[in-house]
Amino acid sequence: MRIRLDPWPIDTQGGQLSLTPFESGELIDVETPRWAAIAPRDVPKRLETVYVVDGKPRMEARLLIEDDEGSSSFAGYGAFVVGAVKLCPHGSRPAELEDVRASRILAHGPGLSVQAARLSPRHPQTGALEYTPSGFQDDQPTAPAAHLQQLMLRAEQELSHGLASRVPFDEDDDRERLTSLTIQDGTLRGRNMGGAVVGCVKTMQTMYLPPDRISLLSELKPGERTPILHLKYGNNRVTRFTWYVRLCEAPAYLHPLAGVMRLEMYAPEESDFLPPIVRAVASLSGRLLCRLGSAAHKDSRAPQNLIPTAALEQAMSRSMGDARLVERRIRTHIMREMNVPAEDLRGAAWSLN
Amino acid sequence: MNGPQLSAPLLGRILGTEDAMPTVFWFLVEQGQSVQLDDLVVARTTKPGGQEVSFYGLIDSVRKRHEGVTFESDVVDVASGVLPALVSYTARVLVTRVDPEQFVPPQPGDSVYHARGHDLKMALSADKMEAAAFPGGLLSDGQTLPINYNFVNGKSGGHINISGISGVATKTSYALFLLHSIFTSGVMGLDAADTRAVIFNVKGEDLLFLNRPNNRVVQKERDAQSAKGYPRDRYALMGLPQQAFQDVQFLTPPRGGVAGIMPDVERASGTVPYLFTVREFCARRMLPFAFSDRNASLNLGFVIGSIEDKLERLSRSGDTPYITVRDWKPDAEAQEALNEDIQFEDLDSVRIDTLSKLIAYVEFKLLEENDGSGDPKWTGRNPSTATLQAFVRRLRGVQKHLGPLIRGDISRQQAERYSPNLTNPAYRLSVVDIHRLSGPAQMFVVGVMLRDLFEYRERTAGKGVIFVVLDELNKYAPREGDSPIKDVLLDIAERGRSLGIILIGAQQTASEVERRIVSNAAIRVVGRLDMAEAERPEYRFLPQSFRARAGILQPGTMLVSQPDVPNPVLINYPFPAWATRFEEVQEEVSEANIQDLFGL
Repeated sequence: MRIRLDPWPIDTQGGQLSLTPFESGELIDVETPRWAAIAPRDVPKRLETVYVVDGKPRMEARLLIEDDEGSSSFAGYGAFVVGAVKLCPHGSRPAELEDVRASRILAHGPGLSVQAARLSPRHPQTGALEYTPSGFQDDQPTAPAAHLQQLMLRAEQELSHGLASRVPFDEDDDRERLTSLTIQDGTLRGRNMGGAVVGCVKTMQTMYLPPDRISLLSELKPGERTPILHLKYGNNRVTRFTWYVRLCEAPAYLHPLAGVMRLEMYAPEESDFLPPIVRAVASLSGRLLCRLGSAAHKDSRAPQNLIPTAALEQAMSRSMGDARLVERRIRTHIMREMNVPAEDLRGAAWSLN
Repeated sequence: MNGPQLSAPLLGRILGTEDAMPTVFWFLVEQGQSVQLDDLVVARTTKPGGQEVSFYGLIDSVRKRHEGVTFESDVVDVASGVLPALVSYTARVLVTRVDPEQFVPPQPGDSVYHARGHDLKMALSADKMEAAAFPGGLLSDGQTLPINYNFVNGKSGGHINISGISGVATKTSYALFLLHSIFTSGVMGLDAADTRAVIFNVKGEDLLFLNRPNNRVVQKERDAQSAKGYPRDRYALMGLPQQAFQDVQFLTPPRGGVAGIMPDVERASGTVPYLFTVREFCARRMLPFAFSDRNASLNLGFVIGSIEDKLERLSRSGDTPYITVRDWKPDAEAQEALNEDIQFEDLDSVRIDTLSKLIAYVEFKLLEENDGSGDPKWTGRNPSTATLQAFVRRLRGVQKHLGPLIRGDISRQQAERYSPNLTNPAYRLSVVDIHRLSGPAQMFVVGVMLRDLFEYRERTAGKGVIFVVLDELNKYAPREGDSPIKDVLLDIAERGRSLGIILIGAQQTASEVERRIVSNAAIRVVGRLDMAEAERPEYRFLPQSFRARAGILQPGTMLVSQPDVPNPVLINYPFPAWATRFEEVQEEVSEANIQDLFGL
């Protein structure tokens, strides 16, 4: 009998053991037809900055809003935060958090006149919460949360691409050099926006490779990668460059794919051109990610959950504030809006504490 | 009132992750700001009614750590630029004063500023001192620490006690600096003319050049100024003149075993020998001070008291330095034993002009007269011959120590000239050298002189005060045991301040000094301490963090505790402007020196 552990924590949905085969798509060798491990290259000197970007939404209260004209809709107080860790891949500067700031949204349904809400704290030192109204079209109970997620993703994309070098998808255009690269947590979403942005897929749920190629993944040494593939799926609506990298030696007791990560970058629809920047990114990705990878005793999702990502997640949660405190403030705010007398309000606030 | 402080840069904000209390709080230091231990700060909070409460205090702990990282090994990732982390720089404040006195906690997020100007005065309670403040040293940021003179001169309190390891704690240096500051800052006001100081020099000839400028002070102060980044030198910062002591007399014991009276020092210029006449010894009841361990036997104490009376009676006739007796005819054997020629004034009168003769006479009266049963008037109802023998034996024991100090073989003019006068109006500072004296002689000199001072002030309690600087208190007033000099010191400690005698005492270990002496000191100063010593109850006035610090203090740095300020304050004080040893004496550029230099 042969038993192997799933590398992911027990409460991770799906885990690593179940890999759905990839059926409705097309996979093209764009780098080389020779299916073998490619050794990592050093991070070139000119790449001075790497950004690790992530985002996080949080619904803070689900609401039912009724405006003065009598129309009503589902709504929600929510917050989202996107941010980046700015670091030097050569280790010559301290890593810094960049733009980690929560935005607060009062998401509401269509056709409502809604004012911004300012939630004042009991103590002036603890700062006010300001919710900016933002409307959505659907009028469904889940729409506020979905809207918040959309806002977050949009902000994350803008941040990712704003920070990275541009990728010229034209064979003749080689002016842009890879000086800054963005690593984004998870698969890339939406359309190509032109930046050198790499998506890191931590949990592999779909196996894009045909069965005869899978064995290479477990043979990869730390830092080594597979050749770059051109991937089309969703009826050719989505095109990506993708490759696999191993971040660490998997201990014998783990699933053989533990420590293997799939990376992707935006690709043009035509599969005959591999921009040099993409190849450069793929070549340095092994070394870079091995450096950024976490250790098992520090992070249960190690090594895929990168050190900067974990720090960023922590900073993002913190920047949104304690959920219970925010909820308490929302309740007090609503009481105040209802013109509850001050004494009763104090009583209510205390009891809510 | 708070106008000028508002423009000061924000130093930090009170933490919400540590308890903020009326007596102690932590704050986060703003980026670009720097604080160190002992900085004085002020935090203000506003009560719900709008009233502002200020918390003044000093920083007793500062720390930095990575914030937001969980594992200790994360420091490697932070340092290699992979893991973003903030360095949190925080400081703990011990509150010394709350104004107005409303002991509410400050609010997390409240602003903290450096205490300067008015705030500094409030933090150090200088507003309560007003004209009574004199500089006691410089705080870590170069501001002056005021000490309340009313707690020095006896008005509200008195006495200063300094503890610290010899050599590195520089207790005497600080005592001298305080004297310099008191003398030259103008804090004494109208009492200045009547204020004196007496220093007992117990170590080397260090204090025999206090009236000469120090040739290293200018350079030392220049170095300190640039090292600490002060705008001016430390004397100028405190408004004190950089000068040696003025109007100083140096009293040294006479050299023993030589003809004539010569000071027993290597570099004698400017020093005057001091001695006591045999008649003074008897008349002024100095006998007890010859016995440093009166408690050795109860009976001995009784004998001393009774002999003291007899000697005093003997001294009443005449005013010569010696005394004469008629009932004693030293036999040849005794003469030989004394090895001195006893002069017969006439047939039945003997002149006692040395201590050894006096002792021989006492021995005769106690043990030899009447065929060995002694003079009943002298022996009285004394218990046993053994006790009397013990008394004489002990007296003989100290004879060689005290012999050079107690003389009768001098002229009346000499006696007058060499009689130590510590209250001479011509001198503001008297240095009494005792470092060459043996233990018993030191005890004798200090005891006799202090008692004289005490009696002088009892007779003529005037304005001004007499400061007495005495090192090695643990020797003169040990915690255990009893001695005449300890009695005098206790008297000074307990009653001295009402009479205007102020003890500036110092010792290595306060735990070995009579508790009542240390506890009577209003101002307590601690230099470098032994770590074990610092944990003794005598140092409870230091907060725990200060006790730990006392083990690493450098020379020139002291912790000063005074009644007005609930916490001790760390200060540094300038290099002496007066020479503290011969090599430091500034060459005087005189005509003669220049001629020497050029071989003219």
